[in-house]
Amino acid sequence: MGYVFDLGSVLSGQYLNWFLIGIATTFALTLVAWCLAMAMGITLTLIRMIPFRPLEWFVALYVEYHRNVPLLVQIFVWYFGVPSLLPRVARQWINAHHGEFLLAAIALGLAAAAYVAEDIRSGIRSIPRAQYEASRSIGFGYLGTMGYVVLPQALRIAVPPLINQTLLLFKNTSLAMAIGVGELTYRTREVESYTFKTFEAFAVATAIYLTVSFAIMALGSYSGRRLKLETR
Amino acid sequence: MIRFENVEKRFGQMRALADVSGEVKRGEVKVLVGPSGSGKSTLIRTVTRLEAIQGGRVLIDDVDIASRGVNINKLRQRVGFVFQAFNLFPHLSAIGNITLGLTKLRGMSKPAARERGLEELSRVGLAEKADEMPGRLSGGQKQRVAIARSLAMDPEVMLFDEPTSALDPEMVGEVLAAMKRLAAGGMTMICVTHEMGFAREVADEIWFMEAGRVIERGKPSEISASPDSRLAAFLRKTDTGARR
Amino acid sequence: MIEIIQNNWLLFLVGQYPHGPIGGLTMTMFMATVSLALCFPFAIALALARLSSHRWLRLPATAIVHTVRGLPLIMFIFWAYFFSPLVIGRAVGGVETLIIALVVYEAAYLSEIIRAGIEGLPKGQTEAATALGLGYWPTTLKIVLPQALHNMLPSMVSQFVSTIKETSLGYVISAHELTFAAAQVNNVLLTQPFEVYGILALTYFALCFALTSLARFIERRISTSRGGTPGVAVLA
Repeated sequence: MGYVFDLGSVLSGQYLNWFLIGIATTFALTLVAWCLAMAMGITLTLIRMIPFRPLEWFVALYVEYHRNVPLLVQIFVWYFGVPSLLPRVARQWINAHHGEFLLAAIALGLAAAAYVAEDIRSGIRSIPRAQYEASRSIGFGYLGTMGYVVLPQALRIAVPPLINQTLLLFKNTSLAMAIGVGELTYRTREVESYTFKTFEAFAVATAIYLTVSFAIMALGSYSGRRLKLETR
Repeated sequence: MIRFENVEKRFGQMRALADVSGEVKRGEVKVLVGPSGSGKSTLIRTVTRLEAIQGGRVLIDDVDIASRGVNINKLRQRVGFVFQAFNLFPHLSAIGNITLGLTKLRGMSKPAARERGLEELSRVGLAEKADEMPGRLSGGQKQRVAIARSLAMDPEVMLFDEPTSALDPEMVGEVLAAMKRLAAGGMTMICVTHEMGFAREVADEIWFMEAGRVIERGKPSEISASPDSRLAAFLRKTDTGARR
Repeated sequence: MIEIIQNNWLLFLVGQYPHGPIGGLTMTMFMATVSLALCFPFAIALALARLSSHRWLRLPATAIVHTVRGLPLIMFIFWAYFFSPLVIGRAVGGVETLIIALVVYEAAYLSEIIRAGIEGLPKGQTEAATALGLGYWPTTLKIVLPQALHNMLPSMVSQFVSTIKETSLGYVISAHELTFAAAQVNNVLLTQPFEVYGILALTYFALCFALTSLARFIERRISTSRGGTPGVAVLA
């Protein structure tokens, strides 16, 4: 049976639109989730600095939950589970305002936040005690030491892992298709089911994912090189 | 100006400092020597509370540094500390390391701080390296920047914790030269070092420590002259600085 | 919530068996174990190829690893879903499809762990072997790999945990595993989605947390026993 590779039909008219909407949705989802992840990740880091045991446990539990439960399951908990706990008004509002997108973004963002918090924490931990001593010896207190000496160095160290997290977040948006979010993978399946050009449709999606992923990976290695400080 | 009264310090079961007493008056240069583990670094670190003590007192200008009203941060601004490992801030340039304290703690304006910083760097002979990052400086240069960093805060006393031990031999001289200039200028200094030539030239008194105690104290001239002294024996064994 | 567990625990555990294929947690564990075991030889091959001095091995291997890292797992699952029947020549069930996708996916990630383990060994090891006259294969098989794998044990357990989590994507192609089972329970109950999916989350949590703790324990044991560091750990 012969098979003709027909990219054109997959990339024309209506189907091209679907792909473009898919790409746009993927990017939108990545962006929203990323902002949430950074905000929450930084918040968790700050909470961790408060020397109060129950708060440390809270952060530890947050991190462990999001690292040990599959992301798809987390999305289900948010999409199927959480609305059932909310009052009807809230549920109606969610449904009227792109509920799946919002809840997927929340799930993705909060999950990534756990890793962001860990990456920043690793960065902070890698700063040698000697730096603290030098800063204190000049007369800086705890806040000054953290603000002017430790965090500037820790965040530089955390940038490559954080860029890696961004890559993971970007790829994880594909899971949102399971709850009907019209991102790239969802749209690809749509195109595929209408055109029956399975190979072409998935080839296009694969190419798009790879292009963006490679760009992020390149950014990661570039920033790793640029930000490297010789430490002493 | 700095007084140790029966200072005791333990690390777990190990007694790092045992009943150490002594005084460093304004303008004096004291050098602490002794074998590894004798407690000399620990002693110097107690002055700025980098190490906490379990017994006795450390007083700066007759104020117990462990007492309630003491603002440790303000205190540390009055005491300069130079580390064996330099401990420059790698994310700031040489001048940046110096101006950080001036702008954030002393509230100086950026131009004024930079001017002051360049002054200090010139004094250690590194004005032209002002905008270099620490990663590109040699060990000797880094240590001199570290000294400039401490001096910029106008300390009343300077503490040196084995400042040349981490340096390649050819760089030791430049750092010692900077320290000698400081001493000649009347700075109160406590130095932990193995550089005996430096000690002989500059110290008002040498304290020999062993196992957490000050075993012997004496002026450099006295010590060399007395053949029985444990310190003299130690010096003969370890003398690295005779030619410096 | 307790009621739901009481009434449906068997479904969660083994799926619809004996009235249907085995599913649930049993199938999840089965798929994770089989996938990781099957991908092992490929992972080792990829790792060695990436470290090889022969360009014709190194470049394709690097390309493969980067490509796998650049695609979401769900794309691999769909590729496997649509194309394994064509390649194998018969209809392929959800479980088989998922295992095929996971073997490819995991091989790339596992190869990175193995590569890190090999690179983390002191150069002296290979130098000593060469000095003794051992060629590439004896050195690699008897000296390098055993040590690398031992040092990377915590990371590999970690990867096993990741694989378990990845099996949840079987839901998308109706593979009978734990998440699919939970969805079935939810479809019957309808009114308690939070409880059902909560149980699902807690089950994964218990399982994965236990394994992660095991990995951390192994990491500590390695640090103390051989006096060496476990290779760049994926744990924190």
